Amino acid sequence: MRQSAHADEYAEFAAARSGHLYRSACLLTAGDTHLAEDLVQETLGRLYLRWGRVSRVDNPAGYAQTVLTRTFLAHQRRRSSRERAVAAFPDVADRAGADMSLRLTLLQALGRLPAKDRAVVVLRYWEDRSVEETASAMNASSAAVRTRCSRALGRLRELLGEDMSEYARP
Amino acid sequence: MPVDQHSDPFEDQLTAALHEAGGAFGSPGGALVAAGRARGLRLRLRRRAAVAGGAAGLALVGVGGALLTPWNGASTAKPSSLAAGGSAAPKAYSADDVVRTLRKLLPQGKFTPSDARGTGGDLPPLAAGAFDDGKGAGSLSVGLERIRSDAAREVNPSAAVLPCPEKGAQSPFDSCVTELLPDRSAITVYQGYEYPDRREDTKAWGADLVTPAGHHVSVMEWNAAAEKGKPVTRPEPPLTVARLKALAAASDWRRIIDAMPGEGKQGPLSSSPGSAGSPARPGEMTGRLILRKLSLLLPKGLERVTHASQETGYACFVVDDGKGAGLVQVNVQPGMSGSADELYGSGAETLPDGTRVATEKGPGEKGGEGVVMWTVDTLRKDGLRVVISAFNAAAQDGAATRAKPVLTIGQLRTIALSPRWRSAQD
Repeated sequence: MRQSAHADEYAEFAAARSGHLYRSACLLTAGDTHLAEDLVQETLGRLYLRWGRVSRVDNPAGYAQTVLTRTFLAHQRRRSSRERAVAAFPDVADRAGADMSLRLTLLQALGRLPAKDRAVVVLRYWEDRSVEETASAMNASSAAVRTRCSRALGRLRELLGEDMSEYARP
Repeated sequence: MPVDQHSDPFEDQLTAALHEAGGAFGSPGGALVAAGRARGLRLRLRRRAAVAGGAAGLALVGVGGALLTPWNGASTAKPSSLAAGGSAAPKAYSADDVVRTLRKLLPQGKFTPSDARGTGGDLPPLAAGAFDDGKGAGSLSVGLERIRSDAAREVNPSAAVLPCPEKGAQSPFDSCVTELLPDRSAITVYQGYEYPDRREDTKAWGADLVTPAGHHVSVMEWNAAAEKGKPVTRPEPPLTVARLKALAAASDWRRIIDAMPGEGKQGPLSSSPGSAGSPARPGEMTGRLILRKLSLLLPKGLERVTHASQETGYACFVVDDGKGAGLVQVNVQPGMSGSADELYGSGAETLPDGTRVATEKGPGEKGGEGVVMWTVDTLRKDGLRVVISAFNAAAQDGAATRAKPVLTIGQLRTIALSPRWRSAQD
């Protein structure tokens, strides 16, 4: 039956992509894993709703990432109208490891960027998207993305220092 | 995925650091996937509810785009004796015909359809999409429906058309005017906002027209390429007020409405599964049938203010017990056994016959101030899911009109578990 074939296809896609979406969401939320889970749930829910159409696009994985980014930005809009974001980093400190210093510092630095700037950084440097693709995912112009990107890089340089290699593992 | 070459070593380091940090977050596990799917199922319900919930708002505060008929206690129980449009056998119109008609009536520009329906389906004809006159795309939709009247031979257009808020009352519109046209049709043209709280600048304008023969034409337009979730593309929607009026009043729409199969032509119980106009999937119920069942199950003594039932699998009433109006909505979905575990967690009760029952008291989902939503969600062994929700407001996006919903959880439970839902008839 068409309906159940669709359902299987969706389930396969969701299982294959949820890990990557979750990790993207963790970066977008600067380490707020609870919010990240919520965003991924919402994203998967929306994909489920539109699966018939999503499954026919060229790059469903890229589309899913776009939905996640927009879900995140919509959430930030809603939140910023009501309350100030609290810079909290749950579930980070309790998983100490060799790369702890880098992760914490980077997540804290990301957390200090405005949400849209953070989304640009994640799409450009984690998703390896071009400026144009980033612009399209964010419903913004390429020029706006370039501006945000250069501002975000400047701020990250200030926060992390010019040379990040001191944090990075060999 | 194409990559811009980074010329800056800092960018390369950032890329490496992000992958390091992101990769350390591990995997969320299967529970997240299941939760995502469950959310999709709920979203599907909510989307339906939003359509009619908005419609309830339309009749009462005048926001929305669907048709909601004043409740007269009889219109859904008996087939209409009046088939609008007379006895000439009209042709059927396809979804493409409806889009073509809209394109013909629009000023110069490009219309890209996103959804269209003709006269042959279970739902009323519709053309929706984005119209761009070269100055930015705006979402645009035209919905067609027929209003029937049992008692009178003609509809009273002034009473049936979308009412503007009373003078002096708080209005969600910048402007709202109802007038009578020379052919005795009534038309309301309004200029308002997509979000009543104006959290975004999306404007929603529309024209609502009812003719004495019962044609109902509803045109809506936005200054963004979608009603929600897309940025504003232009200061105002593409069609001026005069254009909106002319579009709604075009006689082409009335010909299409005349071609809609009427209840009278299909005979009584036309909406039960298996007969003409039946839903696409086996076991699905038309909104009209759900409305009839719900009207029989609602406690006596409630005033039924309005109702809506154009959607397959969904119907709603706005009822008033004398202490304020409240929306009551029902979703009926067959074949939901496969989703039982996702939808009904450990908190759900299982009845002796295997029916799962989950109860929830929570805030409304569409942001109306102080709105609470009480829900009883039931799934029978055979996969028939009946979900009933009651609100303490007449519309989900309106403000609360009372402290609690009109129905108690116990009453909702009784309605949801009624054996009436199993039957394909009333």
